[in-house]
Amino acid sequence: MTESGTLLSIEGLSKHFGGLTVIEDLSFTVRRGARMALIGPNGAGKTTVFNLITGAYTADRGRILLDGGDITAVPSHRRVRHGVARSFQNIRLMAQLSALENVILGQQGGAHGLLGALQPVNLLPRNRWRAAARDALAAAGLADYADLTVAGLPYGIQKRIELARAVMAAPKLMLLDEPAAGLNPTETRALERQLAVIAETGVTLLLVEHDMQLIGSFCDRVVVLNFGRKIAEGTPTSVRQDAAVREAYLGTQAE
Amino acid sequence: MLLQQLINGFALGSIYALVAVAFTLSIGVLNFLNFSLPAIFMVGGVATWALLKAGAAWPLAVLGALGAGAVLSLVIERVTWRRMRGAPLFVPLVSSMAFLILLENLVLVQWGSDLQQVPSPFAEVNLRFFGLIVSLPQLVGLALSIAMVFGLDRLLRRTRIGRALRSIAESSDTALILGVDVASVVPAVFVISGLFTALGGVLFALTYRQVHPFMGQEVALKGISAMVVGGMGNVWGAILGGLLIGVAEVLSIRFLGADMVDIAVYGMLLAILFVRPTGLLGGLALGKGRV
Amino acid sequence: MGGYVQGVLVLLAINVISAYAAYLPIAAGQLNLGIAGFMAIGAYLSAYLTNELGVAVLPAILAASGLTGLLALVIAVPVLRTSGIYLALATFAVGQIVEATILNLRIVGGAAGYPVSHYVGLPMIAGCAFGVFVLVFVLFRMRFGLCITALHDDAAVADLLGVNVRAYQTAAFALGSAIAAVAGALYAHHFSYIEAQSFNVLLSIYIVLYVLLGGTQTIWGPLAGAAMFTLLPELLRVGAEWRYVAFAVILIATMAARPQGLVTAAPLRRLFAARRAAP
Repeated sequence: MTESGTLLSIEGLSKHFGGLTVIEDLSFTVRRGARMALIGPNGAGKTTVFNLITGAYTADRGRILLDGGDITAVPSHRRVRHGVARSFQNIRLMAQLSALENVILGQQGGAHGLLGALQPVNLLPRNRWRAAARDALAAAGLADYADLTVAGLPYGIQKRIELARAVMAAPKLMLLDEPAAGLNPTETRALERQLAVIAETGVTLLLVEHDMQLIGSFCDRVVVLNFGRKIAEGTPTSVRQDAAVREAYLGTQAE
Repeated sequence: MLLQQLINGFALGSIYALVAVAFTLSIGVLNFLNFSLPAIFMVGGVATWALLKAGAAWPLAVLGALGAGAVLSLVIERVTWRRMRGAPLFVPLVSSMAFLILLENLVLVQWGSDLQQVPSPFAEVNLRFFGLIVSLPQLVGLALSIAMVFGLDRLLRRTRIGRALRSIAESSDTALILGVDVASVVPAVFVISGLFTALGGVLFALTYRQVHPFMGQEVALKGISAMVVGGMGNVWGAILGGLLIGVAEVLSIRFLGADMVDIAVYGMLLAILFVRPTGLLGGLALGKGRV
Repeated sequence: MGGYVQGVLVLLAINVISAYAAYLPIAAGQLNLGIAGFMAIGAYLSAYLTNELGVAVLPAILAASGLTGLLALVIAVPVLRTSGIYLALATFAVGQIVEATILNLRIVGGAAGYPVSHYVGLPMIAGCAFGVFVLVFVLFRMRFGLCITALHDDAAVADLLGVNVRAYQTAAFALGSAIAAVAGALYAHHFSYIEAQSFNVLLSIYIVLYVLLGGTQTIWGPLAGAAMFTLLPELLRVGAEWRYVAFAVILIATMAARPQGLVTAAPLRRLFAARRAAP
């Protein structure tokens, strides 16, 4: 595996809040084009890892390398320009805006600065930013919802809009926080198809998930956390059989 | 000479302290910056004047003024706070500002905008010692404000209602679950802070013998500065802040000129906000920095 | 047009400009309780430029506005490190300090006030009000407005999406202050006399109150609030103090019953946009 095959490299990452150590000396890499899952019992620190990668939290120790560049000290609002995008466990769309406007916000990474602020996105009825956003929604099968206010829309639709917003940033790495949470089996299969399409375009995916079936059918690699440390890494099958993993999830009674 | 200035500063500061305590209680327990408190301060002063002018004996005037302050606080709680469940945080602040305007203008309508002289029975009652002069209201004010803060501190720490207040300050949802009757305890916060600030107005009227409709704005707003300097949510911080602001004001009049007072007082507020927003007695005594 | 009506329209126009001056920071989540201070700076700067340096009125107003905006930019750096209630208190302190400082400036009259040359009448003032409205309208239809709304609704996510929250808040604060300066300058040149005491915390409170009364979800709210505040007493035909009493009562009632203000987003959306019903 050549060095350029690695997109994300977490090296010796540590984070604590007050006296509580949440992440301890964590290291793993994500290969370019991978579909990796981050799993672990509740409180293992998975969402914290995401927050560290996006810059919402600052690491106490360790490095985060994205596509060869050290982004550990990059301010959070600049990380999208380095190619990081994220979706949330509980949907965090701007509820009072339309789906289209939410996706237009997703363009911010390429529209920063004064010139970006002056783009007439809502002023001219036809402009390239609205068109690009509309195309993105259409590609996700959400064209009908473009002009509707997000607040009234069904949960599953909102999830997909949030995904479209993340894709709009043309990220290299997409962090998905429990994308299947709250979805029924049909919706989960639709989600899997949408994620596959996104992966086809070359985006590397890192998921936090509890849905083992989705992980088994979609992901090619799994990292397991417990108490802020990595306890296992491998394919979904190998991880499922790992003794340390079973112990973490099931207690000391290993089958 | 300097000692006399200090005494005057402390006396004025004790009035600021009373207002600061009112603000700090409201912020600490309810996370509510109550902009109507300066209006209640003014009502306390104006009511004292009006009752004395109508011929009432001074105990009656004082009690009447305090009563007016308490009643007003309850009205404000009813109309401003009780309806605000679930509303954005700025709503009670905005409503309280509206009460400030309402009360100032009602007083304007009733009595006009002139400064009114308070026929204080304590005029010329001065104590002299070691060449220093303290008027009776100044002394009473100083003693009373310290005593009341002491009493309030006791109330917060030793009584059932005090525990209820402190638990609401930490988390009103948890307090509710734990059985605290939040709905009936919250009015107590309003009444206590109303009484403190109304007393400030009463003392101001009796000490400086002048009241006018905008005295709340000009005097009591400095109580905010005192509160922040001392530490939001901390009642002893309110005393410390009040005394500091009072001394700062008196000294700046003496050495910089009367027009520089506001620059000094609000400069201190701004400086603290930039450098150490939690105030001198840092960290909140009530609540946990929810502001 | 009668003198009385002209007078009312002048006040309306100035109040509209002040409303948008307060609206910009509020839209970005900040309460500027010192806005009257920036009006004062604009008023005194413009007056000084025309009185002492012989500058023509319109350039003076624009220069005063620009300088005030720059000053606000400088002040914003420490002030915007605070947030929420601390921010409101910091802006309040700034306003008080500005008023007190001007009172001490003998060069512009100090407590005695400052006469202002170069009168401006209704056409200029109305023109400026229209100009401010168009500016805010266009700005909020650009990505700027979208980002401001985003950071107001969910600053953490806006930050994640790439919005430089601090930069936008600073821009909103500085721009709002520059617009406040225009209102102050127009007031100065129309009434030909200014004193620091009229740019006090009460004025800031009135402006913030009528903006919140109008509603801050859309850019039409401040217009409605300013109109309500200016025209209500004319409709009620009552004396000055009763007008403020009525205003305060209406505000308290509105905050109790409809805290989002008079003009809100949803009905406007239904009215103006052709949106299909949700399936």
